Amino acid sequence: MKRVVGTLIIIGLLAVGCVKRAPAPGVTDTEVLIGNVQDLSGPLKELGAIIPSGSNMYFQYINDQGGVHGRSIKMLIEDHQYNPQKAVAATKKLVEKDQVFCLFQILGTSPCEAIRPILSETGTPLIAPATNSGTMSDLSREAGDLIFHTDTGYDRQGEILVDYILNQNSDAKIGIVYQDDDYGENVLVGIARAEEEHEITVQKESYQRGAIDFKGQTMNLLKGGCTDVIIAGIVREPVTVMKTAEAMNYKPNFFGTGPTVDARVGKLAGSAGEGFTATYWANMWNSDAPGPILYRELCEKYDIPEPYIGLYHYYGFATAQLLVEGLERAGRNPTRKSLVRGLETFKNWDVGSFPPITYNRNDHAGVDKVQLVQMQNGEQVVITDWLE
Amino acid sequence: MTDLFLGLTQEIISGIALGSIYALIALGFTMIFKATEVVNFAQGELMMVGAYVNFFFVTTFLSAAGTPTAWTFLVALGGSMIFSVLFGYILDFIINRPLKDEPIFSVIMATLSLAIIIRAVVAIIAGPISLMPFSPFGDSAISFGTIIVSVLDLSIIGSAIGLVIIFYYIFHYTRWGIAMQATSEDPIAAQLMGIPIKRVYALVWIFSAVVATLSGILLAPRIALLDTTMGFLGLKAFPAAVLGGFGSIPGAIVGGVILGVIETVSMGTLSFHFQWIKEINDIIAWIVLIAVLMIKPDGLFGVEKVKKV
Repeated sequence: MKRVVGTLIIIGLLAVGCVKRAPAPGVTDTEVLIGNVQDLSGPLKELGAIIPSGSNMYFQYINDQGGVHGRSIKMLIEDHQYNPQKAVAATKKLVEKDQVFCLFQILGTSPCEAIRPILSETGTPLIAPATNSGTMSDLSREAGDLIFHTDTGYDRQGEILVDYILNQNSDAKIGIVYQDDDYGENVLVGIARAEEEHEITVQKESYQRGAIDFKGQTMNLLKGGCTDVIIAGIVREPVTVMKTAEAMNYKPNFFGTGPTVDARVGKLAGSAGEGFTATYWANMWNSDAPGPILYRELCEKYDIPEPYIGLYHYYGFATAQLLVEGLERAGRNPTRKSLVRGLETFKNWDVGSFPPITYNRNDHAGVDKVQLVQMQNGEQVVITDWLE
Repeated sequence: MTDLFLGLTQEIISGIALGSIYALIALGFTMIFKATEVVNFAQGELMMVGAYVNFFFVTTFLSAAGTPTAWTFLVALGGSMIFSVLFGYILDFIINRPLKDEPIFSVIMATLSLAIIIRAVVAIIAGPISLMPFSPFGDSAISFGTIIVSVLDLSIIGSAIGLVIIFYYIFHYTRWGIAMQATSEDPIAAQLMGIPIKRVYALVWIFSAVVATLSGILLAPRIALLDTTMGFLGLKAFPAAVLGGFGSIPGAIVGGVILGVIETVSMGTLSFHFQWIKEINDIIAWIVLIAVLMIKPDGLFGVEKVKKV
């Protein structure tokens, strides 16, 4: 009898233990802690300030409504100065010392690549890394199953641009000016696929990050007779290339990938930037889709300073929406595993910020199409539907 | 053939403009080195501060005056120059003077920390958003047939030549210049000869800050976006100073121009005709630098220093 009672007590204790599990790191009754590593003092410090600010605006909106499952969201931000080694140290600190629940939005291709081993060792998911690199959604890479990418890859963007250009003019001679690093390499992967598909040769001109002069490259594009030029740069590069070309009286159609969709490109390039067309993988922040409408309302509600409002701030907001939905689906007592499982139930998830997003066990890619945004009379205008 | 010739000419002219930027920064390096034997690694940051201060003045006067006129830019230039004189004097006071009798190495380390501090302070004051600097010349350009030079580039080339002539004259033909050279040679002997070396040091730092500010003002509109990373261009100008012969004023401009021309031509015509050049574009400047130093270890215009034992 004693033995039976003892066994029952042990079973009872075990059952209670199973119900009342140890909480996941970073999760308390009132709070979920999220880790973010940004460039706060390096070459991309502008994005490092603006993107998380957009996310914090949305977190505040959610927290004001009572949070996710009654928990408010708190985001810790560390600085990596766009340096992969520093990104590793900062991520370790967030995961091991601060015990964050998951990582979010880490900026830049190289920093995100560098922290893969930490993700796989600790099982920490990374949601919406702030890079367009197609490698982020490659499930065969280390920790691929823990990364959920939102943006259309640079390779896809390059490919779509070539398709578009040849559709407009089948005799087009295409040239590309690319940044000689992970970013440019990823664009070239797509360009190589397009070259094979259309049996064309794209003239390739490279530059080092930080270059301030593009006369040589522009001259070469002119000599090569390029009618359409893709610029895989950020802001300064497309501006300088287009101004240089204008001064040489060389007027090809200019296109840009990823970061060149920044509204300042057109503003800085002035008349040279008229007609510049860039790829974009989310709804425009000033469009009439439901996501951007909510975004603009919140900007007004929370008094966001004017220089912050725009494409990148909106991107921070939109990726935060995705994270919040993931946390919702992770359940009342979220674990890192349940967050991954929750995200993998996204099926054409659409709140009007990104195009519909589907994730499952075999697909963590998010958006895979772009729309083209063109500078017309100094304003950015969407000129196409979603191109795949 | 004419295509090739025209292309090369255009690239060389652009290279001279780019090189003049390096030369202006290298000139700042050279000045401080010439008088104190210190390499000021914060030279690029001084330039960045100059660009920011000038931007501040231009926008302040613009909001007061409404439309930009030549006067707006001139008054802003004057304001920035006054600032740079004060800034140079303060830097001498807080960096150079307390370390006057320490090994030169300590002063060099201090300039490295100064660079980091300046970047941080400017980032805190100006915030994370990059600025869009105004060019006093707009986008205007002058064309000679098919060859095009922007007015901004011409003004950069002109300022580089002008400043080199002025400082060459000061260093070689004025009492203060000779005092500076003497101080660099042997500070103690110079002091014994009655040279006020504290004032000499202050003057050198002021000169250097003025040159840096001027180059910052000219360079800012050329790089389209002004942010704290502008200071890193100083690292590109450093090989220019070494190539020309560290401490030689004409050497700074020659070194800068050589590097600028190599960079533009190798990115342009050379890599158009020889694909493999593309692969080594980023190290080509360093290959030339090493080659020159192997033949002339003191740089092109450097003076071989012989020390008596």
